[in-house]
Amino acid sequence: MTQFFQQLDNGIVLGATYALIALGYTMVYGIIQLINFAHGDIFMLGAFGGLWIFNRLPTSMQNNHVVALPICLVVGIIWSVIIAVAMERFAYRPLRNAPRLAPLITAIGVSAMIEEGTRLKYPGAKAPLEFPALLPGGGFTVGGVTVSWAQVTVVVVAVALMIALQAFVQKSRTGRAMRATAQDPDTAQLMGVDTNRVIVVTFVLGAALAAVAGVLQGARLGSVKFDDGFVAGLKAFTAAVLGGIGNIAGCVAGGFILGIVEVMAIQYLPNGSGYKDLWAFVVLILVLVFKPTGLFGEQVVERA
Amino acid sequence: MTTIGATGDIRERRTLRSYVAQGRAAVRRTATPYRMPLLAGGIGVTVVASVLPWAKRGVNFTTDLAGDLSAAGIGGHRLYLLILALLCLIGFTKVDGARRALLGLSIGALVISAYMFYELLSAGGGLGAVGVGAWLGVVGSLLLLVAADTTRESPRLVWPALPMVGDLAVIVVAVGGLLALLVIGLGIEAESQFLSFAVAVGAAIAAASSLGASLALRTAFDRYRLFGYFICLAAAIAFPFTQDGDATWMAVFARVGVFAAAAIGLNVVVGLAGLLDLGYIAFFGIGGYVAALLSDAIFTTVHVHVPFILVIPLGAMAAGAIGVAFGAPTLRLRGDYLAIVTLGFGEIFRIVAINYTGLTRGPNGIAGIPDIKLPPWLGGFDFGSPHTLFGVLLPFQSNYYFLDIVLIAVVMLVFARLNDSRIGRGWIAIREDELAARAMGINTVALKLLAFGIGATLAGGAGTINVHIGEAIEPNAYQFFASALLLSAVVLGGMGTVTGAVLGAALLIGLPEKLRSFQEWRLFIFGLALVLLMRFRPEGLIASRRRKLEFHDPDEGAAGSLGTGLEEPT
Repeated sequence: MTQFFQQLDNGIVLGATYALIALGYTMVYGIIQLINFAHGDIFMLGAFGGLWIFNRLPTSMQNNHVVALPICLVVGIIWSVIIAVAMERFAYRPLRNAPRLAPLITAIGVSAMIEEGTRLKYPGAKAPLEFPALLPGGGFTVGGVTVSWAQVTVVVVAVALMIALQAFVQKSRTGRAMRATAQDPDTAQLMGVDTNRVIVVTFVLGAALAAVAGVLQGARLGSVKFDDGFVAGLKAFTAAVLGGIGNIAGCVAGGFILGIVEVMAIQYLPNGSGYKDLWAFVVLILVLVFKPTGLFGEQVVERA
Repeated sequence: MTTIGATGDIRERRTLRSYVAQGRAAVRRTATPYRMPLLAGGIGVTVVASVLPWAKRGVNFTTDLAGDLSAAGIGGHRLYLLILALLCLIGFTKVDGARRALLGLSIGALVISAYMFYELLSAGGGLGAVGVGAWLGVVGSLLLLVAADTTRESPRLVWPALPMVGDLAVIVVAVGGLLALLVIGLGIEAESQFLSFAVAVGAAIAAASSLGASLALRTAFDRYRLFGYFICLAAAIAFPFTQDGDATWMAVFARVGVFAAAAIGLNVVVGLAGLLDLGYIAFFGIGGYVAALLSDAIFTTVHVHVPFILVIPLGAMAAGAIGVAFGAPTLRLRGDYLAIVTLGFGEIFRIVAINYTGLTRGPNGIAGIPDIKLPPWLGGFDFGSPHTLFGVLLPFQSNYYFLDIVLIAVVMLVFARLNDSRIGRGWIAIREDELAARAMGINTVALKLLAFGIGATLAGGAGTINVHIGEAIEPNAYQFFASALLLSAVVLGGMGTVTGAVLGAALLIGLPEKLRSFQEWRLFIFGLALVLLMRFRPEGLIASRRRKLEFHDPDEGAAGSLGTGLEEPT
């Protein structure tokens, strides 16, 4: 039983990362019905941005994690946001009214560009790059379950950001504009909402959350790789679908469920770690086949 | 009393683009009265540039440049530049389409000059290395560009209806010309010279297209379709005989052929039915594993040897069955969900292939797959040995190449017959608007499943041949990237056309072999190409007419298509 709770703990930490990335998918999909295929790579870019600034900090600051971690987070966010906004402006916006296949194929292209650009920037990035362990060390034990402070930090930061996002979307003026655009972009525009701005804001928020997830994951696992974003992005997308795409609270729940399912499958199924990346896809297919609206989703109306 | 000026309140937004447009308009206004001297001067300067030395004497080049560029003479990129400049003489006539033709030719000339200028600059380590020819080449092609821009706008030239002999001649000349260009291009060793050649060919084709050649070719092909396919087949068969026993390109083209067949299969799924399948490579892999396991390979886990003639249908059927089994529950999903689910399927295939080591030997894969041997009652032909035909040595790779041609012919036939049938029209209806299609009484689920199954079957068949060419199979060759590559072959060539898929596969598999120094950048360029293509020419290089209408507003006119203008009927 201790083992179960230990894995539950690990699953929640993993799920927090998935949920943070999934929010970007779900918000963008909610507003422009685009599966932003390159979002996983934005997550990866966040980690690389954090690593970039860390290597340029003076040694005294590198050793002081309380200072270094926020700096890495901020620079990671800036880097991810720049690329995400550029991607929206130059790749997706011109295709706003194109047939749906076009933006999806563009997204694949953007994803390849980001991954390869990163690989070319860091020669030898075929192998994982070492990421500094910025999260607090040590931990505590509750009833035989070891919880590290690093795990606590990840979950606390993630949950705080999710609450902040939910408050922003529900309470702020921009949040209201986002919800209006998601419901009906044309009407929103007629009501004076600058939909282009709302879409940019959505990309910025998603990229920032993904960047935080990227830096935290890098710091927790101690390494980053240029293609980290691919699988992580797919799993996060699964989480978003699981919770009902377009639904922020559902998406968070989906992230945690997926994280726990994956960890449990590794622990309790034969050759679990070999098939580690399989379960997300199995869950995805099962959800889409049996409950395409997700666990908490509303009916998705097909738009022409 | 205030007056609101007619121009005062609505200001044009000052963007970079508007400045460029203003500058261009100003240049055009100033240059228009001097069009004839500009054109003559441009041609003259470029022709002179193409015989002068391009590099200073004594400069030691580190990169691979063809010939001695510090001597006067014609050759390599200078020859291509000369040809482009001479083709610009068309500007002195008043023929329709001259403007677009001139623009194409002069842009081509400018790209070649500027690129070679840059190569010399970087190879020689500074402006000191650049000879007078390079300077004149850039200046001459700039003059040509300005002259082209002052040419009167005119519609694309339409040739008068040709007699039968004329139509047939158009087909033969076009196909034969393309084969000749291909052979010449493959023979060019130096990379910079090959690039110049490719640019020149592209510019010349664009110019010919705006002078009505592609329209004439299309008309001729529409009228004598059987003859056209026959000529294409003849050209494809003739290709190995031009290689003079050299195996390098036969090996590449054997792979191109397999990928082209798979791309046509994917085109049924994506181009006709509009189902974005991002895990298509899995079906290719399933066919491959079936063939690998049934071939009694050196590292096999199943010691059976099934004759290859049976393995193709077995592999195809296995892939098709799995495709249907997977598609049945998932095809109810909407477009982009389906894309992700198929991607998931592709990954599931790979993960299972890696972990199910008892059968697949995991990441090590199955190596030592023997060459195909036909049974004695089919002549006992051995695909692993070279043959001499008409006094030309054909390396063993050409056997596979010929097998590919047969495969492509079959796949093309399937594609064409489906496209022209009630089923094909049903697919197109689904692609355009699934709800409306269902309302019109089309059984959308069954038709989508059929498309998915046929696509999987064709991929499986192609996959069986692929592992015999590669002589090994391993799971990591079937990553998402391979699916994306096939998809981009379809998109690049043109969704919904056979020729497009073949062209796309040839470009995406063949070109990287020629441009070795871009190897590192290959995936990046590929991503960029996808983005640019979707932005500027979403219907692909060879567009199906229907697709083109779908991607461009009817009143947008020809402004959206700056490419070759080649189109294929659907």
